[in-house]
Amino acid sequence: MIEFRNISKVYKMGEVEFVALKGVFISVQKGDFISIMGPSGSGKSTLMNIIGCLDTPSEGSYYLDGENVSGLTFDQLSTIRNRKVGFVFQNFNLLPYASAYENIELPMLFNGKKNVERKARVNELLEMVGLTPWAKHRPTEMSGGQQQRVAIARALAMDPPIILADEPTGNLDSRSGHEIMEIFSQLWENGRTILMVTHDPAIAAFSKSTIRLLDGTVQANGTAH
Amino acid sequence: MRMQLLHLYWNEFRKRRKKTSLITFAIAWGALSLLLLMSFGRGLSNAGSVSFKGLGSTIIMVSRGQTSKPYQGLPRARRINIHMEDLELLKRQIPGIALISPEANNSHSISYRNKESNRSINGVYPCFAEMRNQIPEAGGRFINDLDQENARRVAFIGWSVARELFGDTNPVGKEIRIEQTPFTVIGVMKKKQQSSTYQGPDMETVYIPFSTFCQIDFQRFLDRIHIRPADPKDALFMENQVRRVLGRKYRFADDDPNAVNFWNTIRDYETGAKIFKGIEIFLSIIGALTLLIGAVGVTNLMYAIVKERTREIGIKMALGARRRHIIMQFFLETLYIFSKGTLWGTLIAFNIVSLVNLVPVGYEDFGIKTYLLRPIFSFDILIVFLVVLCVLVFVSGIFPALRASRQNPIEALRYE
Repeated sequence: MIEFRNISKVYKMGEVEFVALKGVFISVQKGDFISIMGPSGSGKSTLMNIIGCLDTPSEGSYYLDGENVSGLTFDQLSTIRNRKVGFVFQNFNLLPYASAYENIELPMLFNGKKNVERKARVNELLEMVGLTPWAKHRPTEMSGGQQQRVAIARALAMDPPIILADEPTGNLDSRSGHEIMEIFSQLWENGRTILMVTHDPAIAAFSKSTIRLLDGTVQANGTAH
Repeated sequence: MRMQLLHLYWNEFRKRRKKTSLITFAIAWGALSLLLLMSFGRGLSNAGSVSFKGLGSTIIMVSRGQTSKPYQGLPRARRINIHMEDLELLKRQIPGIALISPEANNSHSISYRNKESNRSINGVYPCFAEMRNQIPEAGGRFINDLDQENARRVAFIGWSVARELFGDTNPVGKEIRIEQTPFTVIGVMKKKQQSSTYQGPDMETVYIPFSTFCQIDFQRFLDRIHIRPADPKDALFMENQVRRVLGRKYRFADDDPNAVNFWNTIRDYETGAKIFKGIEIFLSIIGALTLLIGAVGVTNLMYAIVKERTREIGIKMALGARRRHIIMQFFLETLYIFSKGTLWGTLIAFNIVSLVNLVPVGYEDFGIKTYLLRPIFSFDILIVFLVVLCVLVFVSGIFPALRASRQNPIEALRYE
């Protein structure tokens, strides 16, 4: 499903070059639940961004669903982000001036889904994350755990096969974090592929395998649990 | 673009609308200035052209002069007078004369009952009225061919003369005396704007048939010949033709500018119209520059808004927004600010123009009032305004919107 062939990513900051990823090979199968671990600056976020098509590699090729993603235009990458990938961020990244309902609906608006279809999908997702009564509320009126559940519902709006979560429990207390992980486990059981960056071994324990990064290279790749 | 997306954009804009109120005012101010300057400029231009036509439009007036250079052994400074028979000569020799009339005038006393005054009495042909834009008030008429043929004692009087002699009563059909000869008043001139005269404005003048004039005040020379060319474009050509024909008869050089005098209203009108148009355009440019300052302000504000919402842009990109979704959001905001501002500006401008037009301006006021107090808010002004506006909206909106859409999604998401 996801295949990295010798991916490198170099950031240029003026004269200084910073190598975020160095010749990374990874392969993720459909239905995997992988946690990506490693110290700060080891390239975890860069790896996630490239998988999510938010960033493009400096070298190497990236195949998503058998399609070479390198060299696509911004709008083509937007379409991939919209249909194939659902993002869940550490700081939720909900739109502050939109209600829970509108936040969940947003990915479908960029895709032009029909009115009725959208309505049914948003209500279904609100129910799934247990926030139906909160549909009209703004993010600022909700707890962190609730906001992250809205974010998960939003990630699922277009029914993407892949969920990318960047420290999804990083800003939550352990109980809310646990609830969020329960939802991820459920999603995995329903056949989704999940990649998750985390520091926390307790959270990583929910996943089925781990990729360890150090200084931009893969240290270990396998089932550590 | 989905309605729900527009709704979201509207909500995002509405929450920060306060920031745009000052700039909306700037746009309203700019639109107001542009519209007012265009309207007043047009009014000025219009008053100018109406007054120009007051003397008479598209006519050439020929009057006596004095040679300024020797010719065929004749000395300079000879007086050249024009005569009645020249009228026929000109008509015969120059094709393209549409109307031609002699004019002889002298000051005489006129009286009605116990009121008496001294006025310029002019003997003219019936076609004179058309050349000089003299229209009779309802119930009256100008001199006609029969009056001229039979040398009838009839008079067409300026409205100022009418008021002086008759007050509020209708002068038509009444008998006045010019010196001691009785004349019947056949019409009163309708009021008109007139910016230039040679012996007092038309409103203070009495017109009688040329044939009648010759009977009461015999003069050897004509004061003036009025000519209207069939095609106004021939104005200069006609002037040269007249000079050439008279030059052959009275023996002066074709290029002697002073032998006979010309007052060419066509040329004057064209020059005047160009000057007024120039003023109008100049005023419009000043107005457009005022609006441009507002537009620069909008661009500036939009850049600030884009920066402030960098993170929201990043979120939308991560969720699959294409470039056009981002561009559209910020462009629509620019459009909204402009629309609101210009709507206010236009409403205020329209009201000011309407109110100013209510200020009474008499036809006797040939002064500043007619030029300044009759602004015109016309359809073509609106079109020009809208074109200027569209260009400004596009130019000031597109660059911030493009910058918004060209952000790197990762950096946008990290923006605090």
